Amino acid sequence: MYLIEKNNVMKLAEELAKSYSLYGPVVDKDTKQVFFNKVDSASEISLTAEIPAIPPKNVVFPQIERILKYKYDKDAKKVEMAPDFDSSSKALFGIRPCDLTGIVVLDRFFMGLEFVDEVYLEHRKRMFIVSNTCTVPFKQCFCVCTDSGPSADEGYDLNLTDLGDVYLVEAGSDKGREFAEKMGLKAAGAEHTLEKKNAVDKSISLFEKIATDNKAWISRVMNRVTTGFIKEEVWEHIGKQCFECGACTFVCPTCSCFNIEDHNKFNGSTDRLRTWDSCSYEGYTKMAGDHNPRHPVEDRRNKRFFCKLSYSQSKKYLRPGCVGCGRCQWVCPGDIGLPNVVTYIRREITE
Amino acid sequence: MDYKSGVCNFCGTGCGNFLNIKDGKVSGIYSSRNHPVSKGRLCVRGWHFHELLMSDQRISSPMIKVDGSFKKAGYEEAINFMMEKMAKYSDKAAEETAFLASPRSSNENNYLFAKLARSVFKTNNITLDSESGHRSSMNVLGDGAGFPGMTGSLEDISKTGFILVVGSDITKMNPIIGSEIHKAQMAGTKVVTISSRVTQIARLSNTHLQIKPGSKKTLLAALAKAAIAEGKADADFITGSTEGYDGFATSVNNLDLKDIFSLTGIDSDTIAKIAGELCSAKSAMAFWSTGISGLDRDTVSYIYNLLLIAGKIGRENCGANPITGICNLQGGYDMGTAPDLLTGFQKLNDPEASAKFEKSWGVKLNKDSGKDLYKMLADKNSKLKCLVVADHDEGIVRYAKEIETLEFVAYFGTFDNPFVQYADVVFPIAGIIEDEGTYTNTERRVQLSRKRVEPFENVMPGWKLFPMIAAKASLSWKYNSSEDVFREITSLTPSYSGMTYDKIEKSFGIQWPCNDKYPDGCKRLDGAAEGKKFRFAPVTGRFAVPEANADYPILLITSQGQHFWHQNNIMKKTYIPRREYNATLLVYPKGYIEICKEDAGLLQVREHWNVKIVSSHGSMIVAVKISEDVKTGTAYVPYFIREMISSFLLEHNREFDKGEDTIIPIRIERI
Repeated sequence: MYLIEKNNVMKLAEELAKSYSLYGPVVDKDTKQVFFNKVDSASEISLTAEIPAIPPKNVVFPQIERILKYKYDKDAKKVEMAPDFDSSSKALFGIRPCDLTGIVVLDRFFMGLEFVDEVYLEHRKRMFIVSNTCTVPFKQCFCVCTDSGPSADEGYDLNLTDLGDVYLVEAGSDKGREFAEKMGLKAAGAEHTLEKKNAVDKSISLFEKIATDNKAWISRVMNRVTTGFIKEEVWEHIGKQCFECGACTFVCPTCSCFNIEDHNKFNGSTDRLRTWDSCSYEGYTKMAGDHNPRHPVEDRRNKRFFCKLSYSQSKKYLRPGCVGCGRCQWVCPGDIGLPNVVTYIRREITE
Repeated sequence: MDYKSGVCNFCGTGCGNFLNIKDGKVSGIYSSRNHPVSKGRLCVRGWHFHELLMSDQRISSPMIKVDGSFKKAGYEEAINFMMEKMAKYSDKAAEETAFLASPRSSNENNYLFAKLARSVFKTNNITLDSESGHRSSMNVLGDGAGFPGMTGSLEDISKTGFILVVGSDITKMNPIIGSEIHKAQMAGTKVVTISSRVTQIARLSNTHLQIKPGSKKTLLAALAKAAIAEGKADADFITGSTEGYDGFATSVNNLDLKDIFSLTGIDSDTIAKIAGELCSAKSAMAFWSTGISGLDRDTVSYIYNLLLIAGKIGRENCGANPITGICNLQGGYDMGTAPDLLTGFQKLNDPEASAKFEKSWGVKLNKDSGKDLYKMLADKNSKLKCLVVADHDEGIVRYAKEIETLEFVAYFGTFDNPFVQYADVVFPIAGIIEDEGTYTNTERRVQLSRKRVEPFENVMPGWKLFPMIAAKASLSWKYNSSEDVFREITSLTPSYSGMTYDKIEKSFGIQWPCNDKYPDGCKRLDGAAEGKKFRFAPVTGRFAVPEANADYPILLITSQGQHFWHQNNIMKKTYIPRREYNATLLVYPKGYIEICKEDAGLLQVREHWNVKIVSSHGSMIVAVKISEDVKTGTAYVPYFIREMISSFLLEHNREFDKGEDTIIPIRIERI
């Protein structure tokens, strides 16, 4: 464990920018919306900004990315084809614990099974991650319910915790330790560990009521979702509020469904693209002959919560699929963000 | 930072977004959390706007048709070709030339398009496409309340006490407005939906009045009559703030409430209850869709009059709210793309207004109102020979046969689309985010969309292209940017006069009127501040409800859906919404007709079976879809199949023009 003075903390980012493309939370000047985005200079990054509107999954699994390029020569009947995707080395600076947990889940999906996704691997291979403990929760957060914050415990190279005048810097990997040593950071003492514990405890005490109320309920709800004991009416109540916009899946740090499309360009070549997709769309699960295992909208909704909150799915991710960031709640045109769904199911259990 | 703020360009809601611009190209989208309209939400279309902007299905260069096929041309060559051809019609332009403007074009481009028509080509035959329903709403609100726009504000939905949704499938057409209504309902607002089919908003309402097809107007009149009869009408408001009440009251009194159940399918107790709730609510709003699937003038008049009776016009958190289906439908009218209007609903025949334009434009204007293009096309004796069209982004070209026989057609547009093949000369125009431009949403919010990328294949923006044409007529239009065009608009338009690009950008847009009286714009029509009396809209008092008969026992209603929105031409250029559309198309290649289980049993048909639909005008073959959303005797067809529209629905032109109230008596035959 190390320490760094607050006014020097961005030196870490500046140093990383020398060998990596640097990404971090950036506040849009006009609208005050926070994005997790590539920056030209470390000075654009804000470590105090609220949780970014867009999850950093966009860096490892972009909304649209080219994975292949080809050109078909009609006359010669020949095709030139080459894998062509982003292979830059990236550093994520100031990622929040929930979003880091999201990337850990995505790792298990894209790289943890028999098939390893090359494009994803390329994004992740040389990545350097600096996480940032949330000493104050944001309004919609409920990571205390999903074991994904307010402090990160895995997946980072360095973890920062704001202790007032200094940041506590914890190394989570050899790469992180080497970097801290190279930067000549001071060693931290046992009192700093205690200070961090107090900071995290204080943060936990500040969570909104919906998070603290739901704390014990997430596991009960997981049990219900897994065993299928939830009444049809509850799913229907949820389903009829679904506007089928797909937003909950796009903003979710762990949603990994994608679609493949060919973009024919004006110059005659074609980009093969991978794009985000969503289980809330009817076309997503539609099969030939109008068969759709999840035809009614409530089945599609219920699939999403099955994916986030069931034991069978959690076995694959080694944790629940929800990381408690609360973004689905902000963007939902209905009223069926995950915390609300937990509340609806909870209401049914207690009634 | 790669994310640049912008405005969604699909429907009239005007949601805020952020576009991800990397290496000069669009590569993603995100919702805007602090935007006052969308507050972090987007619909399925909005979440895929970047896919449309990435499309290479564009017009890349001016083209001239030679012997039936297009050849690329330079701008000079194409403009000279057009001027030469159109010179023939200049003497009789009022008869022979017409312009079709687009509710998708920016205010600046629409303004220049109308200026081109009136000052260069000397015609007032300017029609805004997809327009009929919105113009009726503007006329009712303009004549009655002196406010030709939505009188309420989308931000006030969450604060209103009662919401009446008339007909509109609003969660599919304008999903974020639907969301706002749903959230208000969850928080305690009473929501009542009037429609013949069970839509999502019907399911999310406190009360769904599932009326017989075609009886909206009758029900609205019955609500007004019940409010008066039960003594619930706001008498103080009616006396103090309105005029023309007696005429309207007499007219609705002629409606016999005893017959109301057989006419509408709704009993008089329910009607009295809803009328009471509307009147006693602290505030109330009504929503209806406009544009091609909108309501006719008479129905809109009944909605407006009902709100007057309830005392819900011009007051806090109230509103008569027509909802535009396309991004700049309101702006199109604001820019005067109509036969009889200048900008900001100033009348062409108002000598003071037209003198102002004559001075600014340096031309003499013809003050006689022009004609509606669609009426000219329908008229067998029309002398129309030449048509100029902008951004016709619909998949179906109405009156295709008539347009084909015109002598000369010019097209200005961004995307490649079905209209291009009818043209003799084609000009590309830089699209949204390739040029600056303002768009006016359904609540009169004028929003600025900045230039974020270079134009596709270096095509020209409107402010450069249109002046090149004007120059051929020896007119000197001097603009160095869209902002210059906007300055000219604000100098001529009282309701826009207080706006500048800077001011608009700083506040997520400004709602007109914005002028000396309302320097920061105007959230809602304020009756107290205006100090004018609201006039009751004249109504016909005719309540004929379409009847089924022995030959055609089923009433067919039509509508459009979310993925097959506006005939698909735009959705087809995206990936995910196109996939969703195709998923339906694969299963129902000829479209489908929704009927209830009981009717399917009577007809002895099953899910997916093809049936023949026969009306007095023609027939088509479609697949059966059994649904709980329609009642017996009613059938529903979403029009997303080209042939279905062009060879069946358009044959019912008179009915189809009624937009949302298109009702066609049919019979269904087994085949």
